[in-house]
Amino acid sequence: MKSHTIAPAECVFTRVGSGWTKRLLPLALAVLASPTCLLAQGVVPAADADKQTIQMLLQRIEKLEARVSQLEGTQGTTAKAQTVSAKIQEAPRPLSGPAASPAEEAATSTTAQAQSSDPEQEMEHLEPERMDMSKTLLRIRGFGDINFRGSNQKGSTNSFALGQLNLFVTSDISERFKFLSEIVFESGPDNFYNVPGGKRNEFGVDVERYLVQYSYNDYFNLAAGRYHTAIGFYNTAYHHSTWFQTTTGRPTLFEFEDSGGILPIHNVGLSASGRIPSGPLGLHYVAEIGNGRQSRSPLTEEPVQNEVDENNFKAVNLAMFARPESIRGLQIGFSGYHDKLMPIALPRIDETILAAHAVYMVPKFEWLNEVVLIRHALDGTSQVFNTPAFYTQIAKRFGSYQPYFRYQYINASDHEPIFPDVRRMEGPSLGLRYDASESVALKVQYDYNVARHQQNYSGLNLQLGFTF
Amino acid sequence: MIVAAAVLLLEVSSGSAAGGASAPPAVPDDTIAIIVNQSNTIDDLSLKDLRTVFLGERSHWPNGRRITLVMMDPGLSERRAVLRDVCRMSETEFSRHFLQGLFTGEVFVSPKTLSTSVGVRKFVFNVPGAIGYLRASDVDSTVKVIKVNGHRPEEADYPLRIEVRASK
Repeated sequence: MKSHTIAPAECVFTRVGSGWTKRLLPLALAVLASPTCLLAQGVVPAADADKQTIQMLLQRIEKLEARVSQLEGTQGTTAKAQTVSAKIQEAPRPLSGPAASPAEEAATSTTAQAQSSDPEQEMEHLEPERMDMSKTLLRIRGFGDINFRGSNQKGSTNSFALGQLNLFVTSDISERFKFLSEIVFESGPDNFYNVPGGKRNEFGVDVERYLVQYSYNDYFNLAAGRYHTAIGFYNTAYHHSTWFQTTTGRPTLFEFEDSGGILPIHNVGLSASGRIPSGPLGLHYVAEIGNGRQSRSPLTEEPVQNEVDENNFKAVNLAMFARPESIRGLQIGFSGYHDKLMPIALPRIDETILAAHAVYMVPKFEWLNEVVLIRHALDGTSQVFNTPAFYTQIAKRFGSYQPYFRYQYINASDHEPIFPDVRRMEGPSLGLRYDASESVALKVQYDYNVARHQQNYSGLNLQLGFTF
Repeated sequence: MIVAAAVLLLEVSSGSAAGGASAPPAVPDDTIAIIVNQSNTIDDLSLKDLRTVFLGERSHWPNGRRITLVMMDPGLSERRAVLRDVCRMSETEFSRHFLQGLFTGEVFVSPKTLSTSVGVRKFVFNVPGAIGYLRASDVDSTVKVIKVNGHRPEEADYPLRIEVRASK
């Protein structure tokens, strides 16, 4: 227990105990003696000066001894307070509600004077709300982006564009349960495989993540609700925040379903995750089961099966990744996803998605590499469609500036039954991110796209991404 | 001068390593003590393990209690020392790390930030899974100090110290 009756300048003695006091006393005397001695030498003969100094030092020693005795007495009182405090700790205490401070309780048992005179104790009374761990608080963090983009693609116009306004809401329900959601407001029509839905320039609201998480220990966590499928790295690293991303947008491979993406980015079901005891290898696992993605073709409505699955088969996904202790920032992993799709006027389709990634991310440098193979096998036929895709992205930070480069590639068959519009597309992106503050990033990105059966086109995107 | 020399001799004979009487007084070499709740069975953590705890990469103690990290306000020397020696991150990098961890769901709970050593002690005293840090001189018996890399704060090889600046 800290002493509450001593002046700050004297604290050093009470803190270190009597043994230190004995050692510090001569040091203090030496410090005091040196300038005094030098001063005396200039006025009186050396022998007289020494006598006077010795006399003065003796007086000081007497004073200091008296002070030490006084402080030792104070320490005795403090020791009693500590005993009281220890007893308080041993007694059962409720976990809920603002608990009384041990300092307060101990001080109550010792002296009222100490309570009233100590500014630290006054400070304790000023922050009771921080000690209330029992209340379930709703925390909201926001992410947003505003863009200006232009392209020489046919039919496009240069436009200012509002990006997603993302409200990331969390709440600690209890020690082991937590709620997490992403509520996203976005303008513009949805786009499912080049089939636009909704009205242009109109805002819509999507609950992109909606999860109750249960944390049992480091090795087992369970989440129920709508989550981002653990396919690869990007999907679960950035979710719906453009501010977190180095670039202005996601790789085409990881585009959201309602932006024409080809992967089941979202899923509704259960997700278990945790560490695997593996020492310095740092292995982790993710196991998911959910409704999977709707497969009716063409899609003109919400592809994520939030409420009803189109069949009784459940999509399963298993992922494993390593974060070796020896190379901090490195993550290497793979995942396997399987679902049955039932498109209209087509046989049932067996969907398998294999993904692998190697990512190195440290504050000053990042290098992301991901490869995905999407395999669609039509039941009762020998037809199999493989769609390979990859991207690589590299960025280096120079102070607030972060130039980056990305190359991406997708190659889908012209006859691919689930996403016939994708075909082959590839191209580089070059950009610069500038962090204007801790929460605001300005980005400029140039993209060049080469697509099969389409004219090549390029685009420029200026983005203001922020968190609030 | 004679007195000063005598005091120096006395100091040396008492086994102190505090230096000569003519040396300028140094700022006390305060160490950072890692504190946990008294009920916590952990006695010792390596700096590496401490880092995983302070970066939210471990969410539970071996006894099953959820880890609740207590940080002091940005700008305080104790926090700077912990960010430098334990997290090895700047303030901005640390903030972003936790924000992203919470965003991805990998970090289960964000750190509590308190402005005073009294607040930190009080919090750690009250929350069984809490872990925080204080200047060693601010520690009292309401909390438990754990060893880091097998060393206690008063030992010479203890790795966590606030940067010492010699006074002029």
